[in-house]
This record gives sequence, structure tokens and C-alpha cells, in this order.
Amino acid sequence: MDRVFLGFVTASLLFGPAGSAQSVTRKAPTAADWTSLAKLPDLSGVWESAPGGRGAATPNGGRAGAPAGGGRAGRGGAPSLTPAYAAKAQARAANPVEEPQAANCLPPGLPAIMNQPYPIEILLTPGKVTIVIEAYTQVRHIYTDGRPLPEDPNPLFYGTSVGHWEDDTLVVETVGLAQVPRGLTFPYSEKLKVVERFRLTGPDTLSIETTLVDPEAFTAPYSMGTRSLARHRTWTIAEYICEENNRNFVDDKGSAGVKLSNPLSSAK
Amino acid sequence: MRNVTAAVRQAIIVAGVVMGGTSVALAHHSYSAFEMASVRVITGTIKKMDWTNPHTWIWIDVANEQGVVETWGIEGMSPNYLERRGWSRNTIKVGDKLSITFHPLKNGDKGGSFQSAQRPNGEVLGMTPPIADK
Repeated sequence: MDRVFLGFVTASLLFGPAGSAQSVTRKAPTAADWTSLAKLPDLSGVWESAPGGRGAATPNGGRAGAPAGGGRAGRGGAPSLTPAYAAKAQARAANPVEEPQAANCLPPGLPAIMNQPYPIEILLTPGKVTIVIEAYTQVRHIYTDGRPLPEDPNPLFYGTSVGHWEDDTLVVETVGLAQVPRGLTFPYSEKLKVVERFRLTGPDTLSIETTLVDPEAFTAPYSMGTRSLARHRTWTIAEYICEENNRNFVDDKGSAGVKLSNPLSSAK
Repeated sequence: MRNVTAAVRQAIIVAGVVMGGTSVALAHHSYSAFEMASVRVITGTIKKMDWTNPHTWIWIDVANEQGVVETWGIEGMSPNYLERRGWSRNTIKVGDKLSITFHPLKNGDKGGSFQSAQRPNGEVLGMTPPIADK
């Protein structure tokens, strides 16, 4: 069972005009499609990075998060870059790093969006895995119906994703990643591909191993390590409207500030 | 810098932990606008509580050295984060008396980043209780 596609390969695979994404016609799922879904590992539910599994501390959230705790163990913090991209990294280091635009409520792209201090909910339906991300109220669409990755994808925050099962592991491949803040401290090219391997490691524990592949920028695939998430069966995804009462900002010089006098504050 | 408890010192140490180079996963913004290396304590009466995303804001009236009441704004974790850790929108209410320990804003404005709070009866409010499935 090397490659088991969830669902069904569509009968018609239509390619649009050059440069546009191909369209895939999906047939209505049958009872058999739902039955086969039930035989797969149950990744469904609400998950949050387990303490120590995220490698980050929130100053007033206090998750001590062991930096070495599985988040990026043995990775050395950066991929080996090709000469051209090593030069880009040097040029970048000469300029001060901009504050993440998340302070202005711009969500970070993949992979950082998967590693926020808020839960995600994974939904499995025939031919598709959907990830609802509480932070910034975002969503990822992962097609598991056998369609190929697009050859000339539009550059996006979360790219275009397809998934397939390798035994008990859901392997998600994503291409078409724009040059936007995505938590990476090194340069990457438009050929960047993110590979995520989702696997249950216990009744309510999930591991996600994230690997970056970029033949133009990296000399070898770069593993960001494996993170552990805990399933919270009593949780639901909560509303998160970043613009509701955001007093943080980053100005056009990249400096962070706080607006105290902005009683745009909610009526709550 | 009075009333700095061991727990707050621990929180400061935690705040100093810098995350790895590849995956920046802070809540929603950096804390470079705040003086994270120092804390200040103010005592007053809650004027307003914003139970809002992306951060809660505690507005507290505090008398200055001249006795003039000034309103301070203290940023806390989001309601989403806090509700999963035992807080509710009624944990801090208008009229509550509170001493708040926080990291002040660098620019001198009357605001900061919440570290802990204490009620007159001694009850300590932290934003760091462990996750508990209800």
C-alpha cells in the first residue's frame, strides 16, 4: 500500500489557459467513499501544539516551550543554501529584519500558520482534507482525490496542496508559495515545496514532520523537525477576528508600536 | 519594582527564551514595543475590560503621585487562549480592585504587557495556568 489515494481519481482533468490552475471535476461521494474514509487513521478533531512541542514561548502566555523539545532538534536552524541564495541571505542579514506583519493582522503563510498558539481542526471528507485554523480564522484545502500538483501555481500564502496516504501517514505536498512572511528566516525560491507528514502517535497525539524542498535555494531537503500536537476532544474552534480590537502595529519602517488611544474597542 | 514574586521572576525568565530560527510562532506580534526586561506594578480600579481578539485589554484607573487618576491600558493574552485556561470574560470586572504587574511600554505611554495581577484578598491571577480539558 505504497500510495493510496483517498477518494477517487477524477475522470476528467481539464487544463485551462496557460498559467491558470487546472480545474478538476469532482463527483459526488458515494457510500463506499465514506466507508473507505472510516478505515483511515482518524486525524479528525481539534488539535493544539503540545507543551514543549512547539519550541516557542509566549511572553505573557508563558508556555515555556523547550526550544530543543522536538521543534527543530538537530536541524541547526537553517538549510544549506546554494551560492546564489547564500548571497541573498547575506544581503538580508545586512538589513534589519522587519517585524512580522502579523501585528497588523496579516496572517503568516505556511508553515508558520500551522504553528500558532491556537488550535486547528482537521476535517476529513471524501477526496479532501480541510484544516480550519483558529488563528486569524484561516483555512487550508488539501485535495486527496488524486489530482496532481499544479505545474505553474499562483504564488499564495498557503500555496496549493494535495495529499496522499502512505500506509498510516498522510503526506501533504504544497507548492506555489509567495514571498510573504511565513516564519522562515532564510531566502527561498518560487520552487519551494513544503512536505508535511501527519501521523497519529497515540490515541490523541499527532505528529507533523515538516520538510522544505527547494532545488533552487537549498542544496538538500531541509527538515524543520517533528512537532507533537494533542487532541482536545472537548474543545471547539473559537472566533478570532484579528481586526476586532487590534492595538498593535508595525509601521513602514518595521518598528512595532501599540495604540492605546484607539477606542475602536468593541461593545462587548 | 515592588511585589515582584518568584512567579513573576520565572515569567520574566520564560519571556527571555528566544524561539528557534525557523519558526516564529509568537501569538500575534513581537514584544519589542515593551520593556520586557523590566516590570512595574500599578494598583487601581478596573474601568473597562476588553474581552477581545487579538488581545484582551485591561483598562485600570490609577492615581498618580499627585493624586490625579490616570487610565492605564494593559494588554493580555487573547480570550481564546485564556478561556481554555480557566478564565472567563467575568474574571476581571469593572470596579474590581487590582494590582497589576506588567512590562511597560518603551515609549512611556501608560500601558504595558500583562504579567500577573493580585486581588486585595491575595488571589493571584496569571495567564499561564496549564491547559485543562473541561
